[in-house]
Amino acid sequence: MAAKIKKLPKVCDYFQNEDQFSSGVAYCAGCTLELHARMVSKIMGKETVIVGTPSCSAPVLNGQNAAAWHKMGHYACTMTGVASSATGLTRAYQKAGTDATVVCFTGDGCAQDIGFQTLSGAAERNEKMVYICYDNEGYMNTGIQRSSATPYSVATSTTPVGKARKGKETGSKNLPLIMSLHDIPYVATATLSHLEDYAKKLTKAKEKSKEGFAYVHVFCPCLVGWKIPMDSSIQVCRAAVRTNFFPLWECEDGKYKITKEINKPKPIADLTQLMGKYNHMDEQMLANFQQIVDRRFNVLQTLCSI
Amino acid sequence: MNALADKHVKVITGNAAAAHGARLCRPDVVAAYPITPQSEVVEQLAKWHADGSIDCEYVTVEGENSAQNVVCGASMAGSRAYTATSSYGLVYMYDAMLNTAGYRAPVVMVNVNREPPGIHAVCSGQQDMICVRDSGWVQLIAENCQEILDLSIQAFRLAEDHGIQLPVILNYDGYYLSYLAEAVNIPSVAEVDDYLSILKTQPKRPTLIPGQGIGCGSHGIGPGFVEARKKHMDALDRVYQMVDDIDAEFDQAFGRGYGGQLEAYRCEDADIILVTSGSAVGTARTVVNARREAGIKVGLVKIRLFRPWPIQRLARVLKGKKAIGILDRSLCFGWGCGPLHMETKAIIPTIGEFIPMLGFIDGLANMDITKEHIDKMIDDIYSASKGNSYQEVTWLP
Repeated sequence: MAAKIKKLPKVCDYFQNEDQFSSGVAYCAGCTLELHARMVSKIMGKETVIVGTPSCSAPVLNGQNAAAWHKMGHYACTMTGVASSATGLTRAYQKAGTDATVVCFTGDGCAQDIGFQTLSGAAERNEKMVYICYDNEGYMNTGIQRSSATPYSVATSTTPVGKARKGKETGSKNLPLIMSLHDIPYVATATLSHLEDYAKKLTKAKEKSKEGFAYVHVFCPCLVGWKIPMDSSIQVCRAAVRTNFFPLWECEDGKYKITKEINKPKPIADLTQLMGKYNHMDEQMLANFQQIVDRRFNVLQTLCSI
Repeated sequence: MNALADKHVKVITGNAAAAHGARLCRPDVVAAYPITPQSEVVEQLAKWHADGSIDCEYVTVEGENSAQNVVCGASMAGSRAYTATSSYGLVYMYDAMLNTAGYRAPVVMVNVNREPPGIHAVCSGQQDMICVRDSGWVQLIAENCQEILDLSIQAFRLAEDHGIQLPVILNYDGYYLSYLAEAVNIPSVAEVDDYLSILKTQPKRPTLIPGQGIGCGSHGIGPGFVEARKKHMDALDRVYQMVDDIDAEFDQAFGRGYGGQLEAYRCEDADIILVTSGSAVGTARTVVNARREAGIKVGLVKIRLFRPWPIQRLARVLKGKKAIGILDRSLCFGWGCGPLHMETKAIIPTIGEFIPMLGFIDGLANMDITKEHIDKMIDDIYSASKGNSYQEVTWLP
């Protein structure tokens, strides 16, 4: 009788490399960033050069916090200069014939707003790199201000809830979709509740970055900014997928595909009720929000049917 | 290709001279964004790249801010990196320039001087280079097309020297030099390779290599930061001697020397001195020669190194003179005079004596600095040297 081999969870199959981070990294307790950063390094490997900016990930990635460290090459630059600095690095390695995976790792504030021009420019030039945006829907590191990734109605410190106004009045900029329209080899969305899906996408992004630009947009809750309990971030990720608020899809060489089909999508209230940042929402606001979510998902479905 | 590789003389513009200077140093990565009056530099390099006559990564960025970040990143990864810009392009790079200097990335950048502000300020003036004075870069100024080419080569030699490792800006006047065509001696690639070969004998500078856990840009706070800044200042101190030495080496190799940090023209026996920089020097030299023939003991100082400011050498030249005039093509807001004037005032303690100093502001926004203007300046300086009262700052025309 053959010995029973305990099968590892499937996601580990994608971990071709050792964890590059020391234990006890300095993120908030319950934040998904630690899981996220370790995941990236286990898949991308040691030959990775991480490019980042002042952000929540900076203390760990760029060594501001002496208690936490990693073994990868890293390059710190200004908020405006991530994709362009990474361009300089990747071009230098190409010219020298050095094997390297240049990975940009920034929040939505950089990718969607202040660093958007350089991101778009690098994508249009099809620079050989992976750009990962961890989307926590606002400028969390500077004190929870709104960004162009902040969804409709959300309360932030620059879109507060008051007598005259209740949170952000416009919806968010759909960055992954915009990036896919740059005609780059690979674009994907991912989140931390669906790790196997994310692992596959990271593996593909690494491979595709040998040809050109690969962009991965990751839904990444911020406990403090979103007002959620310490043990709930993965639950929030899952709800974002199940409500079609954050559908998991990819666009490989121009072909769109939903990688996690949701048979019976839940109403948006199933997501908003998990977070304090939506506490002020009334029926009308919820209906408006649902409309935004449905319209966006329709666009995605249409693209997937082409 | 062969024509490019060989040494030859050709009538070319200042911009073409800059492009040749860059080409001859064989950069690994070039990133630049076109802007009037610099565009010809970018276009010329793009043409050579398209022809396959230069072997580099040529990054056609979407703006100057990205150009600066690209060259900084490339330089930190070990590349020889080059960019060129002007005016608003330069100040659009400003945040990234602070990193390039702070990271000690030996990037070489050409800045074709042009005025800000205003949509119509498509004209010459040195205000752009003044705006980035305190960014920690080394700044050089060229007088003519030949010097643009020669200083481009010297700039790489200086930036990448192991004892320096600082980014260098080479400035030259837009319009007056960018579009001026002159006969220029273009050296061969082999000659320039030979001139720069000393860099290969020096220890390798630290670079960001994948898989080695090396970081870049983590200055930290507190002592680590302070140490990095102090070392940066010390490197700038070493620039003085290095600029003089490099210029002498260049003279030996190519037969053209410029005096290093500054050129003191007919200064030794002079009673009065005019200090200026850039394309105005040519006109000033002609007038100084004419006035010398008329018996006025006037000398001319051409500032070639603007940052760090040539404190000691300038003080030695100015010591004992009876009056000094300083011609500026830009403004020093807050001092009511021109920047070269302000910097010269600041070395009075080093000179060790008070000498009357007369500032002249001329040549803003493509206003010609004429021989008549310089004649008037020399008249004023001469009058002050005789003990007459004088106006501290004069705007011309």
